[in-house]
Amino acid sequence: MSSTPRSSDPSASEPVVELHGVVKRFGDLTAVAGVDITIERGTCYALLGPNGAGKSTLSRIIGGVSPRDEGDVAVFGMDPWEHQVAVKTRLGVVPQEDGLDEELDVLRNLHVYGLFFGLRGDVFRERAARLLEFMELTGREKTRVVTLSGGMRRRLSIARGLLNNPEFLILDEPTTGLDPQVRHVIWAALRKLRSEGITILLTTHYMEEAAQLADTVGILHGGKMVAEDTPDALIRQNLPAHVVETHADEAANDSPPGALVERHGDRLFVFHDDQQRLLDWAAQHASGSTLTRPASLEDVFLKLTGRALDE
Amino acid sequence: MSERERGPDVASAGPPRAPSLATRLFSVWMRHARVYSDSLLANATPAVLEPLFLLLAVGFGVGRYIEAEFNGLPYQEFMAAGILGMTALYTAAFEATHATFVRLRYQRAYSSMLNSPLTPRDIFVGELLWCATKGLFYTTIVAVVLTVAGAVSSPWILLAPVAGFVTSIAFGGLGFLVTSVVSNINQFQFFFTAGLTPMVFFSGLMFPVQELASPLREIAYATPMFHVIETFRMLTSGASHASVEWVWVCPFVMVASALFFGAWGVRRMETRVVG
Ligand SMILES: Nc1ncnc2c1ncn2[C@@H]1O[C@H](COP(=O)(O)OP(=O)(O)O)[C@@H](O)[C@H]1O
Ligand SMILES: [Mg+2]
Repeated sequence: MSSTPRSSDPSASEPVVELHGVVKRFGDLTAVAGVDITIERGTCYALLGPNGAGKSTLSRIIGGVSPRDEGDVAVFGMDPWEHQVAVKTRLGVVPQEDGLDEELDVLRNLHVYGLFFGLRGDVFRERAARLLEFMELTGREKTRVVTLSGGMRRRLSIARGLLNNPEFLILDEPTTGLDPQVRHVIWAALRKLRSEGITILLTTHYMEEAAQLADTVGILHGGKMVAEDTPDALIRQNLPAHVVETHADEAANDSPPGALVERHGDRLFVFHDDQQRLLDWAAQHASGSTLTRPASLEDVFLKLTGRALDE
Repeated sequence: MSERERGPDVASAGPPRAPSLATRLFSVWMRHARVYSDSLLANATPAVLEPLFLLLAVGFGVGRYIEAEFNGLPYQEFMAAGILGMTALYTAAFEATHATFVRLRYQRAYSSMLNSPLTPRDIFVGELLWCATKGLFYTTIVAVVLTVAGAVSSPWILLAPVAGFVTSIAFGGLGFLVTSVVSNINQFQFFFTAGLTPMVFFSGLMFPVQELASPLREIAYATPMFHVIETFRMLTSGASHASVEWVWVCPFVMVASALFFGAWGVRRMETRVVG
């Protein structure tokens, strides 16, 4: 488990992550049902899916924390379960449940985590200071974690995940439950990391997060990959460019020719490539609260899975 | 390198060196030492005082009315060995049950440790070494008190910390076995009251078990605690005060129990944390 199986020269051509036919079962439940993923070096991949889709399970398999029942997994060209130490040394993880030591202060939390990587002394101190600055936590070194706000906790968790200068960072729902302001701070940090060449795997159930950050989005539903592409292509291939969203009581039978009509709950979605036509139709037929906008990932998700992401 | 001025400096170096096994085990130990250093002395109070109260009340208190010698020893000196064994046993068993369960269930400490280069085995071997260090520490304190109180007559007592360490691995491992199956922290009560307490009291803490009727006597011989207490008695008073002629077997059984329960307990905890 401790031997390094092959020279780990970060060759640009080799994908950082390669999954083929990965299956994971918990008793009778199949949490991951045959998933293929390739993540190229220096790109950001977003796994988008509702609660229970299998995002965390997949992240743990990729991170070498959990074994799979079937399929092949390679991270840096190594099987992360067979070569846990070698893979995890080069990997940063920001888990969904942060597992920070509540009673320790911010700096000691980093210190303890650094020890797991063999980091200590000046190397540790310099890195910790730089990361706290990067995550806007400078001045909080002596604050106990239990007194931190949710946003600061998450930023600390990200700083901790970066402590070993990872080539590849896994973030499991990094902004769930946070204020929009904090979310934007975190997005900015992730963009910066990506611009420095760090490969990122992000799980989320926020469309906007995936659209903002990802080069590739994989939509996971019930343990299966239902679509995978760039955010734009996902929208282009699955839906017309524009949509009118209105109350489902509105007469849908008169929808403009060539429109795609979807009904979800009490909302009616009328899609069309011609925005003017949609606006005209809305002015005639729809009353009350109506929204005309470009089609989004959320619409793609609804169409592909028949349910909203946060349901 | 001005590259270092930027955010996280991925580009500046090749892949980092993987931490060695020793570094990984030590890091777990250090984590616990860091997190619990404030409470180490506070926790020492019950771990050390309970056995000492028992010695005071029973050994010296009741012992005053006891004329007879036990294994050729005054009563309080007879009890000293069991008191030492009991200190290590409860320290390790408590650490590997309640404390481990809290880390597992409430603090989710292991899930973040698992995201570092630590393997599940590193975590629990390191944790067992931490248990044993605490056991060693508290056994040493009790051994000093016993020596000052005049309940020790052999210079071999200097090895008491080692015996405390080994005993703690055995009972830490046993604690892991229990922790790997419980779903609720209250279930440990059963392990302590129905498992450990009778084992402590019927393994030679209060009276010489060789005087028990068969098959109770053979049952006592079969428990690891009997061998622990006999080993400690060699250290407090010498082998001539042993309960059985084959007392030389006892340290080996003690070490074997540590290896057996330690390895088994670690394995069980490994499977418990891996989803
Ligand atoms: N350790 C586990 N034991 C049993 N079932 C699990 C376990 N972990 C996850 N699951 C189940 O697997 C499915 C996927 O879970 P998860 O990967 O956490 O989804 P997500 O992160 O997308 O919300 C869920 O139905 C969940 O209940
Ligand atoms: Mg999850």
